[in-house]
Amino acid sequence: MGSLFVQLLVIGIKILVILGVVLGLGAYLTWVERKVAAHIQRRPGPMVVGWHGLLQPLADGLKLITKEDIFPRTGNRFLYNLALVLALVPAVLVFAVVPFGPEFEFFGVKVKPILTDVNVGLLLVFALGSMAVYAIALAGWASNSKYALIGSMRKAGIIVSYEVVITFAVMGPVILAGTLSTYEIVQQQINQKLWYIWLQPIAFVVYMFAMLAETGRVPFDIQEAEAELVTGFTVEYGGIKFGLFPLVEWYVEVLSLSAIAVVLFLGGWSPINIPFLGFIDPLFFLGPLSPFVWFVLKVALLFLFVLWLHWTLPRYRIDQITETAWKVMLPLTFVNLVLTAVLAPIVWR
Amino acid sequence: MMQWIAFLFFASMTLLSALGVVFLSNIIYVILSLLSTLVMVAGIFFVAGAELVGALQLLIYAVAIAVFYVLVLTAVPWEKALKKDSHYRIEGVLTFPILLAFYLEIILVFLLGVSVSPKGQIREFIQNLGNTQVVGSILFSKYFFAFELVSLVLLVGMIGAVLIGRKEDKTYEDSTS
Repeated sequence: MGSLFVQLLVIGIKILVILGVVLGLGAYLTWVERKVAAHIQRRPGPMVVGWHGLLQPLADGLKLITKEDIFPRTGNRFLYNLALVLALVPAVLVFAVVPFGPEFEFFGVKVKPILTDVNVGLLLVFALGSMAVYAIALAGWASNSKYALIGSMRKAGIIVSYEVVITFAVMGPVILAGTLSTYEIVQQQINQKLWYIWLQPIAFVVYMFAMLAETGRVPFDIQEAEAELVTGFTVEYGGIKFGLFPLVEWYVEVLSLSAIAVVLFLGGWSPINIPFLGFIDPLFFLGPLSPFVWFVLKVALLFLFVLWLHWTLPRYRIDQITETAWKVMLPLTFVNLVLTAVLAPIVWR
Repeated sequence: MMQWIAFLFFASMTLLSALGVVFLSNIIYVILSLLSTLVMVAGIFFVAGAELVGALQLLIYAVAIAVFYVLVLTAVPWEKALKKDSHYRIEGVLTFPILLAFYLEIILVFLLGVSVSPKGQIREFIQNLGNTQVVGSILFSKYFFAFELVSLVLLVGMIGAVLIGRKEDKTYEDSTS
């Protein structure tokens, strides 16, 4: 009974920590994004609220919460609100299978810093990731507005195309690791002394494309396209309900997909890797904290890369986006998959 | 104990949302309750320890297939979605016997499958190898012929879809000029 209680307590703490970190970080990444965007455009960005605008997200949150809740007269209120829940829940659930670091002991209790280490973790990630389609389609339909409907249809088309691509892109690392569990994949990379990005560069590039498309980041932010569609499927949402969609899409989903990319291609919590030789850890002085710092650093690097693209590139047309998915990305992943499947058993094991 | 509670929850939710599919009038709600049914069935698979099947149920049925219903529905005009009476009453009555025959066939196949399925022989494999490997090795050894046949059928379907979806340029050209 005692051990069961301890286990439940550990799970509860993990859930609280993950929820707090993800949602809090998601809110604060708006500040990071505005600062980065400002410096790319050679202006200072938010400076007034707090030191270098550090309290800006809180001020924005207050403003959004106290705004009037506007609802289109002929819309469907139940579906309109359900879309919010459907957007937030799967995006946060993905973090249940993200391993943040190696197993450690805390007051005699062995703790794995991952909520559930299911042995089909990766499949769950992509199942939950594509649940976002429902939120977007419903948001567009329930708003009863042309702009919203067009935006949601575009986004749904993109997600359907790139979901196929991303699933095939991750099959390369899965073949190399021989497991679908996220924790085990990182463990395999450490055992084999090799980040899979060195063997799967094509898969990594395709994964990054698909990640940009799924999260609606530039150059694939056609569902938003403020010049032609105002803001796509969020037109009819107001106040904090409007704030929730970009929070989920642009921050929580980018974070979760970056974390999965780090797990699959960049060796999770392992330090810098030299292929087949070993790992170099310039942060060795942090002791047991160093794996966690490495994980956060890599995710932050990928996030900044996404921001960099977002504030540099123009956007594609919708037909170009879907054509790239089906005619370029998918054949590339097939070639990669077949090559990996043929070569891996010969060279690898 | 915990397993029973979880199973009862998922099973009752499955039944409730399946009833919703039949009885709700707004078609968007119908699709949503179908989605809920599929997700809850995945939950039942997870409770039963079939993690791979559960994840595939989520990935293929709850996402890849149900999403196409939603895509079709978003193209349906607002007034039609709120229409209360059924569109195809006579057709529904006419197809009822065929539907009944299908259900009988499903029950028959299920009972036959239960009677020939290995009892407790695979459990040992699963403990040694894990879910995914067991499914893979059984698919590629015992049921290999069926597996290849199904993939052939899917290939034919895919070619057909490509054929229907292709652009028909230069078909109606040069008849008048």
